[in-house]
Amino acid sequence: MEKDLENANPTILSVSELPSRRRKGPAARTGPDAGCDKIVFPKHHWPYGATSSSSDEDEDYAEEPLDEQDIYGTRPCLLFISRRTRTFSNYACLIDLISPISDPEHPHTLGQLSVVRLPDIHLTPSPREVSGSNSLVTVRVDLTPTINHCSLATVIGLAVRCRLERTLPPNYRVDVRMKPGSHDQDGQVNKQLGDKERVAAALENDALQAMMNKMLGACD
Amino acid sequence: MATPSTEAPTADPQGPSAATSALRPPQQPHTATITPLPPFQPDLYHRAWSSIPHPSLPLLATAHAKSVTVFSLSTFTKHSALTGGHARSVRTVAWQPPRGSNKKRLGLVTGSFDATAGLWSYDVEGEREGALEREVRLRDNDSDGDSPEDDREWEFNLVLEGHENEIKSLSFSPGGQFLATCSRDKSVWIWEDVSPSDEDDDDANGDWETVAVLNEHEGDVKCVAWCPSRLPGARALAARRRYYSAECLASASYDNTVRIWREDAADGGEWTCVAVLEGHEGTVWQVQWEEAEQRRGKKFPRLMTCSADGTIRVWSLKQDEDDEAEEGDQEEGGFNNNPFRGIPNTMRRSLREEWECTAVLPQVHTRDVYSIAWSAETGLVASTGSDGVIALYAEEEAEEEEGKDGENETAGSSPPKTTWRVLGTVTGGHGPYEINHITWCKRFDPGAGEGRGKEEMLVTTGDDGVVRPWQVRIS
Repeated sequence: MEKDLENANPTILSVSELPSRRRKGPAARTGPDAGCDKIVFPKHHWPYGATSSSSDEDEDYAEEPLDEQDIYGTRPCLLFISRRTRTFSNYACLIDLISPISDPEHPHTLGQLSVVRLPDIHLTPSPREVSGSNSLVTVRVDLTPTINHCSLATVIGLAVRCRLERTLPPNYRVDVRMKPGSHDQDGQVNKQLGDKERVAAALENDALQAMMNKMLGACD
Repeated sequence: MATPSTEAPTADPQGPSAATSALRPPQQPHTATITPLPPFQPDLYHRAWSSIPHPSLPLLATAHAKSVTVFSLSTFTKHSALTGGHARSVRTVAWQPPRGSNKKRLGLVTGSFDATAGLWSYDVEGEREGALEREVRLRDNDSDGDSPEDDREWEFNLVLEGHENEIKSLSFSPGGQFLATCSRDKSVWIWEDVSPSDEDDDDANGDWETVAVLNEHEGDVKCVAWCPSRLPGARALAARRRYYSAECLASASYDNTVRIWREDAADGGEWTCVAVLEGHEGTVWQVQWEEAEQRRGKKFPRLMTCSADGTIRVWSLKQDEDDEAEEGDQEEGGFNNNPFRGIPNTMRRSLREEWECTAVLPQVHTRDVYSIAWSAETGLVASTGSDGVIALYAEEEAEEEEGKDGENETAGSSPPKTTWRVLGTVTGGHGPYEINHITWCKRFDPGAGEGRGKEEMLVTTGDDGVVRPWQVRIS
């Protein structure tokens, strides 16, 4: 079985070495996993559609990028903070959303295999400049496949795109790419991952859907 | 998915009360005001791909999930639904032009990610002329469309199988004789309706034959569109170049190109690629023909394309003096009576056509442009895409006057370049969501007032499952 692997001996980081905000987040949070759940099932009404939300609500749930410079330098973080209570009503850190995705052929996560790395996640514009919930924010994730001919690169990319699209608010546009030079056919893979129609059709494929569920199983 | 927004950002949910002017823009439109009308009900909640208006009746068919919802344009509510025909999402839908004795029923074709196309029909009781129109109107007057018979009439008649992967787009030729389908398998299929012409209504399924499988694209084929071959410009060319049949097909692809296909009448009806349009630097999402005939006269209709590279381009056929010469009365003749039909291949002109990009619209979009709509009435163009922006453009008239009658053109020179102007934009047309499709369609709602059946509005279809009409005012 081992010999079928594309990359039999990947470099693996131990969990404690991974950059994360899960364990050292602000004390006000209720628990390490609560953050993601709250994004998946937001308890409050998103203030989309400016006419329907009062100015009160707008203020209440504005994004406030308080923690841009935290101890890990995890810049691509978003905080959804209730200004009234000064507690975190929602919390998301992009690296924590995708780092726990399982690799399709190793019993490790994409974070452990350094397929997703902190410096390769970019938010444009920075959350500080975002004016409202309808303003587009582009998330770009550059993946580093474990070896440069990994045929599973597309599947990994799909899982990352899928994970982010399911968890981030709808004004986020997710661009997942192979880090330049990291993959033999990065142009081709990038184009596939950027094609909404192909992604949508792929996710209706049962085999691929099962694989996605397995890879994303550890995230929720 | 988060709760879809039901209010557009600038929403003025109040329908317009005095929609009377602006049926046609003045000579030089300067600005446009695009205001949202109340969205179609019910909300579909999940991603909807496209909404196609019926060419004459007040109906709009929206492809979403594994089904199609048909909305009434009179009431902005659900008219009927097509369900149960496909195993995966329906990506696209086309209304079947009435053929022969089939005028008493509606025909729809669905193209699905399950690699098949389905032919559906909606029978209208009664044999009288105009029964269909009456039936549609009657249903519109029904209370709220919750009547238990709502889903009864659409019947799934026939499935067209052949593609290996998802069907992305399909299109009927103007007379309804041909249906083109395209797929991720890189091919375009052309199907011909070979039903006997005296067919009884009860057996309305029809017989379809594959007449061509076109394999020249190097990537997914995203869109197919038939040339409006009844326009004078298209007819004139077909008549002049006798070895063509009148029909002409354009296909847009993931390989960044557009291809033009014609049936070579002299070569046993073989369909061949006569031109490759190169210039886009990303997937070409949609291709649309110019249908506003008064603008082009005897010139062949132009093409417009939109792409993942964020641009919209206009393409024109390079016609030589021979093509543009005044035609005799042979327009309708067609190739069947063609005296040159037996001429051997080597004696004929090349089928090859030269197309040129004659305009790039001002760039508004920051991400993929998924859809464009070129009005047959006004020549105005609307676009939308991943950035959720809706933009409206007009072509500058000035240059057309200067370049009139080829004064600036020497024989066989390039078709004139034109410039376009942005008349107006709307950001966040569907809140934070992507917009997948835009189309022009006639207004039939009471708010249109005297413009009912004449005034055009825009309809957008988004990832939020909302289908939203927009009133367009030109000043």
